[in-house]
Amino acid sequence: MDNLLQMRDVQTFIGQFHILQGVSLNVPKGTITVLLGRNGAGKTTTLKTILGLTPPRYGQVIFDGEEIQGRRTYEIAALGIGFVPDYRAIFRDLTVEENLQIAERKKGDLQRKADFIFGLFPDLKRLIKLRGNQLSGGQQQMLAIARALVADNKLLLIDEPTEGLAPVIIEQMIAAIQKLSTETTVLLVEQNFIVASQLAQYYVIIEEGRSVKSGLMTDLLKDDATIQRYLGTA
Amino acid sequence: MENIIQTLRKNRSQTIMLATLVVLFLSTLQGMEPNDWVITVLRGLAVASVTFLVASGFSLIFGLMDVLNLAHGTLFMIGAYVGWTAYVRPDTMLDLATPFALFIAGLVLAPLWGNLLARARVSNVGHILPWVIIILGLVVLAFGLTRYPITAWDPAVYDKSPVVFGVKLDLGQTDLPAPVTAESAQIVLAMVGILAGSALVALGIALSAMRQRRAAPARAAWKALGLALGLSILGLVLHLWNDALTASLVAAGTTWRFFLAMIVATLVGAGLGALMESTLIRPLYVRPIYQLMLTLGLGVIGREVVIAIWGRTQMQMPKPALFNTIGKGCPAQTLWDALANQCSTFYFMETRVRTYNEVFVFVMGVVVLIAVWMLLQRTRIGMIIRAGVQDRAMVEALGINVRQVFTFVFALGVGLAALGGVLAGPAMGVSDDMGEGLLLSALIALAIGGLTSFPGAAAGSLLVGLLQQFIVKYGQIGIALPFLAQPFKPTPPLVPASTLLLMVIVLLIMPNGLFGRKE
Repeated sequence: MDNLLQMRDVQTFIGQFHILQGVSLNVPKGTITVLLGRNGAGKTTTLKTILGLTPPRYGQVIFDGEEIQGRRTYEIAALGIGFVPDYRAIFRDLTVEENLQIAERKKGDLQRKADFIFGLFPDLKRLIKLRGNQLSGGQQQMLAIARALVADNKLLLIDEPTEGLAPVIIEQMIAAIQKLSTETTVLLVEQNFIVASQLAQYYVIIEEGRSVKSGLMTDLLKDDATIQRYLGTA
Repeated sequence: MENIIQTLRKNRSQTIMLATLVVLFLSTLQGMEPNDWVITVLRGLAVASVTFLVASGFSLIFGLMDVLNLAHGTLFMIGAYVGWTAYVRPDTMLDLATPFALFIAGLVLAPLWGNLLARARVSNVGHILPWVIIILGLVVLAFGLTRYPITAWDPAVYDKSPVVFGVKLDLGQTDLPAPVTAESAQIVLAMVGILAGSALVALGIALSAMRQRRAAPARAAWKALGLALGLSILGLVLHLWNDALTASLVAAGTTWRFFLAMIVATLVGAGLGALMESTLIRPLYVRPIYQLMLTLGLGVIGREVVIAIWGRTQMQMPKPALFNTIGKGCPAQTLWDALANQCSTFYFMETRVRTYNEVFVFVMGVVVLIAVWMLLQRTRIGMIIRAGVQDRAMVEALGINVRQVFTFVFALGVGLAALGGVLAGPAMGVSDDMGEGLLLSALIALAIGGLTSFPGAAAGSLLVGLLQQFIVKYGQIGIALPFLAQPFKPTPPLVPASTLLLMVIVLLIMPNGLFGRKE
């Protein structure tokens, strides 16, 4: 199977802190791959490193056959990578509509994708004139994902999409991510193992800045020892 | 209606504060003749306009890129001097236009060089070679520039000093000195030198960029070539038609020249801002303290450069003819009559008001306020600016080149300050220290309004402008305070002090300013 994204022994420093000490992973095209690991293991930094927000010092990041490490963030994003950060980063002074418009890379992107986006998140259509700071947490999360879908992205990096949301909304979010993954490849960070196991076909475990184990989610679910050791949940 | 009440309730302290301020300003009606009050308010609005032009640019720059541009006052002053030149000495401006166009034409070649170097597979040029080429380019540039004939003034010689030309224009004389000429061989040499020099500088820049980046795309290279050709032709045309253009500018009269001066100063300011951001500020985004030192130093250097070119004394910038006629139906009874007869003053609510100082400056402030507001709210770049003020990294993660937006905002901010300088010129004179006090006023206005809020910049400027003018007025007529037998007359130092006091009071009650946001 083709890999849309590959990381080979990537190391990232933030200031003088050696955050990523060797991350290698593959994200097969057309799948959902989840990064698992404890708090502070380096999952979010891995996503930021791919985008060049925290540029890697060593190693290679290969997206769609091109080496992208060392490029500017906007150039990397424009290759077709959408980002949904854990803090959602909704622009609070912009309306919902503007939050979507700003993600357009070609004129008319939003219009073209409107049916798909509002099909996933019908609520957003109702809220279109509200400002970002008037939305609830769940609505902000929907908007953050919707924003990443406006341009034709081949890969979505989604960080903790269910964090702090009510159970009903988590259900909606799972359904939406499943649906959008039919069109794009997803690299997900998810602390909630139950959610992760429902969504992802592949997993990568990160421990203290290193990728320590990866494979098929179905295999991981049978491997209680690994789950115990790295994730601390049953 | 319900919405309004709800917003008022939500922003209670803001509402109370604004209401108190309005009441305070209205209460000044008590101890003052109505005409005094009207003129004071109008003057306050005009001062607010100029303050706003400086404050809004400063706040846009600070909001988007966290740069405290301490050179902003100097750039305001430079705007006034550039405007003065276009207004009083159009011949010098046109003489400078050709070398300027050629200089820019050479500089924009950088992407072309980058592309060619990449094709030639040049790499590993080291640290020194780019600088050698840049310095060589500057030498060639200086060689070309000094040989191009420019009819200028000479601040050291009284007859030829800029002051004299200002006074002459004020008296209605526009006799410009005979243009400097040179042999055509020398002119051609000069023009080639300027073009070659700046092209070399561009090559040096492209070489130093090689070390870190890949090739510029071919499309950008073609664009650069086209732009350079266009600018070279423009420079040539300006040179060939120089005399005719000068004559027509002189004949056009002061009103048209003043509008030209506003445009030229704004563009030059924007260009300076873009240059400053892309060369000096950009490498220092990660080092805020260095940035502060840099802008502070640039402010001082800019002022010395201005003194070196235009001299130390204050220069006159006469008001444009549209606002400068005395007699013949003047002062007019209404604003419309004043504009029809080009009166310098007219009566408004039985108060004699100066058309330029109290009306035109204020109107321009409002025009800019609306224009920038529309830019921010209705355009894509405005949307990106508003988003970037909150979260630059996320904007970049959407695939937007934020650095280009930075350069644009810097250019816009400095352009607005330069426009403010031109507007202030006829009202308060052109001098090298005109920017300092204004930068301080603008900073106070921003602190009052909320540092990065655009409506805050407007409100803060309004308060500072009004307060200053009221204190000035009370300095003349005195204010009756309780427990004082004599009316109290504030001394001039109390004018800036009063705005500081207002700032302290506002910040004590609302630490983020009137329209600021909690971080």
